[in-house]
Amino acid sequence: MRKTFGLLALAFAMTSCNGIFSGLYDEVEASSPYGFIQVNEADNSGTIYIDARDYEKWTYISLKDKLIDTSNMVKEEPEPRHWDFALHRYDVKTNQAAAHETDFLTMDAVKAHGHYDEGSFTADTAGRVVVDMSTMMDGYLGYHESNVNKVLSRWLSVDTGTMPPIYTLSGKVYVLRLADGTFAALLFTDFMDEASVKGYVTIKYIYPL
Amino acid sequence: MSRRSFFGLLLLLWPLGLMAQRTVQGTVSDAETHLPLIGAAVRVKEHASLCTVTDPMGRFVVHLPDNKACHVEVSYLGYGVQSRFVPEGKAPVLEFRLSENISQLETVVVTATRTPKLLKDVPVITRVIEAKDFLSTDVGNVQDLLQAELPGIEFTYSMNQQVSLNMQGFGGNSVLFLVDGERLAGETLDNVDYSRLDLNDVGRIEIVKGAASSLYGSNAMGGVVNIISREAKEPWFANVGTRWGSHNDWRSCGSVSFNTGRFSSSTNVQHTSCDPIRMKNDGDFGTIYANHTFSVKEKMSFSPNNRLRLTGRAGYFFRERESMVTAHDRYRDFSGGLKAEHDIDESSNVMLSYAFDQYDKSNYALQSGLDVRSYSNVQHTLRTLYNHSFGTKGILTVGGDFMRDYLMSYQFSDGGAHLQHTADGFAQFDWTPVKKLNVISAIRYDFYSQAKLHHVSPKLGLMYKMGKMSLRASYADGFRAPTLKEMYMSFDMANIFMIYGNPDLSPETSHNFNLAAEYNKGAYNVTLMGFYNRVSDRITTVWSQAMNGMVYDNMQPLTISGIDFNASARWDCGLKMRLSYVFTHENLHEGDLHTSSTRPHTATARIEYGKNWKNYGFNVALTGRALSAVTCDEYTSLTDLSQTQRVTYPGYMIWKMSLLQQVGRGLNLTTTVDNLFNYVPEYYYNNSPATTGTTVALGLSVDIDKYFRKDIKK
Repeated sequence: MRKTFGLLALAFAMTSCNGIFSGLYDEVEASSPYGFIQVNEADNSGTIYIDARDYEKWTYISLKDKLIDTSNMVKEEPEPRHWDFALHRYDVKTNQAAAHETDFLTMDAVKAHGHYDEGSFTADTAGRVVVDMSTMMDGYLGYHESNVNKVLSRWLSVDTGTMPPIYTLSGKVYVLRLADGTFAALLFTDFMDEASVKGYVTIKYIYPL
Repeated sequence: MSRRSFFGLLLLLWPLGLMAQRTVQGTVSDAETHLPLIGAAVRVKEHASLCTVTDPMGRFVVHLPDNKACHVEVSYLGYGVQSRFVPEGKAPVLEFRLSENISQLETVVVTATRTPKLLKDVPVITRVIEAKDFLSTDVGNVQDLLQAELPGIEFTYSMNQQVSLNMQGFGGNSVLFLVDGERLAGETLDNVDYSRLDLNDVGRIEIVKGAASSLYGSNAMGGVVNIISREAKEPWFANVGTRWGSHNDWRSCGSVSFNTGRFSSSTNVQHTSCDPIRMKNDGDFGTIYANHTFSVKEKMSFSPNNRLRLTGRAGYFFRERESMVTAHDRYRDFSGGLKAEHDIDESSNVMLSYAFDQYDKSNYALQSGLDVRSYSNVQHTLRTLYNHSFGTKGILTVGGDFMRDYLMSYQFSDGGAHLQHTADGFAQFDWTPVKKLNVISAIRYDFYSQAKLHHVSPKLGLMYKMGKMSLRASYADGFRAPTLKEMYMSFDMANIFMIYGNPDLSPETSHNFNLAAEYNKGAYNVTLMGFYNRVSDRITTVWSQAMNGMVYDNMQPLTISGIDFNASARWDCGLKMRLSYVFTHENLHEGDLHTSSTRPHTATARIEYGKNWKNYGFNVALTGRALSAVTCDEYTSLTDLSQTQRVTYPGYMIWKMSLLQQVGRGLNLTTTVDNLFNYVPEYYYNNSPATTGTTVALGLSVDIDKYFRKDIKK
């Protein structure tokens, strides 16, 4: 009996040195695809997934060309030639477009409604975005002048009154009236990657609407 | 007188004799378990020679010689004495249900010396909280229980609503939590996951304040909290229960156990859940995250003969915290162990055990449905312990541990892992040269492979008994080895700064001195203890300009001293009272890496009254805790320790009323009103109570076995 006991203990220890039941967990792919990860030409819809973690960069999205590009504003890199809207962390700006926050909560509801040109549309205004968090411990942040669309930037509320901040998705569909008069519908569905790292944004879209 | 006349007279007097003699019979059982108490002493107060003891069914019969009124008194070791009035000429059937009496109980404790020893004989003041104490006050977890029973203990929130402990100036990583003597794997912000410590199958909790590294090694600087599971003693036992509280705070549990003598098994399951709780005012936290937990535990014992006992156990714990709308935090623990205990002869025994504990954290992304592990701490521990008794003069305890400690963490570079092996050996001699004097001495050597740490922890304790007074004095060394996290962390704190580990850290060490006097008379117990700790090389983080981040480093020495007072009384009528107070002074110097936020004055109080009848019993308990305000000078910047600002955290007092009713054979109803006086913080600091005001809770549990077991009195 005692020999069996000893063998059991040893066997248990040897087979589980670094843990057991690892199969309970999912593995994250080393490099998740970014960009227009789903495109459905039939109904003009799709899903965009971008890495917006870098505080110094804007990530530009062209709905017409289905292209993603970035530029470093601190290094004063130029914007791409064609883009419709852009994200910096959770800030959003547009390329001379205007945005409207609808009451729709799903893209299916927007599709059912069809073309949308109701209510007031808000254009970008001059503002500033945080480009350097490392000085926070010294009591200030580093900012960079930039246009921001305040309506579109409402997709995520970040309440920094508590630590850690409270993140709340608006869950609403935004309609974008582009400079050329075409319309797009955007639904921001997540601000984290599969491993719950913040700064990865998932956007569902319909373009043209 | 002729023979005929004599028998005639006897016949005439016989009815008179029958009238003068009465038979009083009855039963004696435990008020809580309803089990018969065998061998309980029964006596008639008015007739010193009339006494008997209860039979195996707890029954007794007493023949009274006359018709006069009298009192029948029942006593049993460890239980309160009960007396019943028998009216003149009556012969009632008496039913005694005795309650355990802690002040008289020869409670056996193990934590202070690692050997079973009577509480009154332990040279280190040990506080024992038994299951009936937390059942009667409707406490569901260790946090609430410790705060309610012990002053000087405060559980607060730290960043992201993670729970932090402060026990008389010592943090969560300086107080060792054990479950049946085994360490817990995993930590968050230097604290173990206290929610793992449910009270579903707990028999008692032993708390030893002060350093105990000579027996337990690292982390046992401020004290040891040992949570000891309930032993399956009954032939079989089954209980199911559920409890609902404000904010949809649900707790449901079930227990099944049996004991055939050679073989015993105990199974426990618990599920809890609570809605998010929105605080009433602004604060460091606004909404307490919704959460739910699930745990299952199994323990089996087998004794092939009277000298050998084999025990196996396994457990699973799961907790999910709804910290974000898009992702939840998940925590899992897998534990198991095997233990063999062998009585070599009447004076020696040896124990060999293996323990496994794995604590995981993962992020569950709601949209993708992916559950990605970010942290895993896996500990394998081999342990041996040998005890030898030298009659009544002394006990020698020798033991050793070997532990393999594996840690994978998101806080390491690229989510990597580190491994450490630790080994230790210790010896203790518990010497009783004369009946009144007890001397305990111990020494332990610890080795940590990654920290390249060799540490020796000595201890010396004395206890001297003078009548009803016991005096205790002790010196003990405490230490805490740097953890793998503290040595190897490389963590980007939200793009704000980095936190770096330091492989060159020294261990935290402490010199702990205690002096205590205890007075125990009948129902009354008073204890006064003074304590002094000199703590060196406490590990914390400090800003490094060179690395542009926080780095783990050792602090300058500091002292923690204070007074611990406890007074309790328990009367046979069912009334119990306890008052405890702790004064703590944490002496930190200007420019130290931390400022103190330990509340100087804390007190707890408890008054309780209970009574049991045949088919109904109740226990009403009023418990309260009061914490003084604390004013501290906090640094205005993490990078520059030249500026401070004075902050006062307000004191508060919270009272709770609980009513436990036992109906019929096994139905238990609990009604609780917490925060009786509706205290609501004006601002919710992290060390404010997370209360929205008065709350209520209702509980129902059924002891199923009591309806079927034949050995339990109806």
